Amino acid sequence: MAFGFEIDPCEKCEEILQPYLDRELGEDERAEAERHLDRCGYCRKRYRFEVELRRFVRQAVVEEMSPDLKQKLSALRTPLL
Amino acid sequence: MGDSAPEADARKLAEEARDRVRFEEEALELADQVYRVARRLVSSREEAEDLMQEAYARAFRSWQSFQPGTNLRAWLLRILTNLNIDRGRRVQRSPDVQPLEEGDYFLYNKLEAAGDSDAEKVDQRLSQDDAVAALSAVPHDFRDVIVLVDIGDFSYADAAQILEIPIGTVMSRLHRGRRILKRELAERTVGSSV
Repeated sequence: MAFGFEIDPCEKCEEILQPYLDRELGEDERAEAERHLDRCGYCRKRYRFEVELRRFVRQAVVEEMSPDLKQKLSALRTPLL
Repeated sequence: MGDSAPEADARKLAEEARDRVRFEEEALELADQVYRVARRLVSSREEAEDLMQEAYARAFRSWQSFQPGTNLRAWLLRILTNLNIDRGRRVQRSPDVQPLEEGDYFLYNKLEAAGDSDAEKVDQRLSQDDAVAALSAVPHDFRDVIVLVDIGDFSYADAAQILEIPIGTVMSRLHRGRRILKRELAERTVGSSV
């Protein structure tokens, strides 16, 4: 089954970049995307970049909870009788 | 022979207390993960801390409405996102419907066009401050889904449930939001000429 790869494979590849990386594509469409990525250096480079970009943003924006807030949340527990 | 009525009541109360303690412990174990998402749904640490306390207080009050065996982290975030909206902390704005010409390869292509021969080395091209500022610049409706899916690791279906929107809306907001994020990153990295 074709999903648009026969018309402009790179355009199609760009279009499904996100659901592919989110692992939300159907099996057939995923297999077709992977066949294209195996053959196409242009898209492969951009997909790799996207993977790195997501990892980078995810790490960059993470801020951990303060110990003070942890204590405040613990104090919200229902007191034991 | 069965328990007398007072004994049965006492047993029921004890079981309920045990379940509640277990629920509260499990919810607290997830607090770090919930906070990471909460922190990026709002603009300051103080707001995130207030929101966490309110959300946990509400969760502990309404613990019996949680269905055991379902996703507790998603349940907590649903409370938290509802509170965030209810408290009117969001600046209400009309949906961003301006067409975006940039595609998903936009940022890579910009970096490459700016003479970066190895645009894949993201760490060397982008700074942590740029990433935080770019994410903050994404309008709320789009940022919420990015934060849930990319920071919170929720599936599209979970994000749809948490935000109480259709899954198709999650997908379209995610698509558009990530493009806005890349445009913001490009502006900070390559310059205002983008």
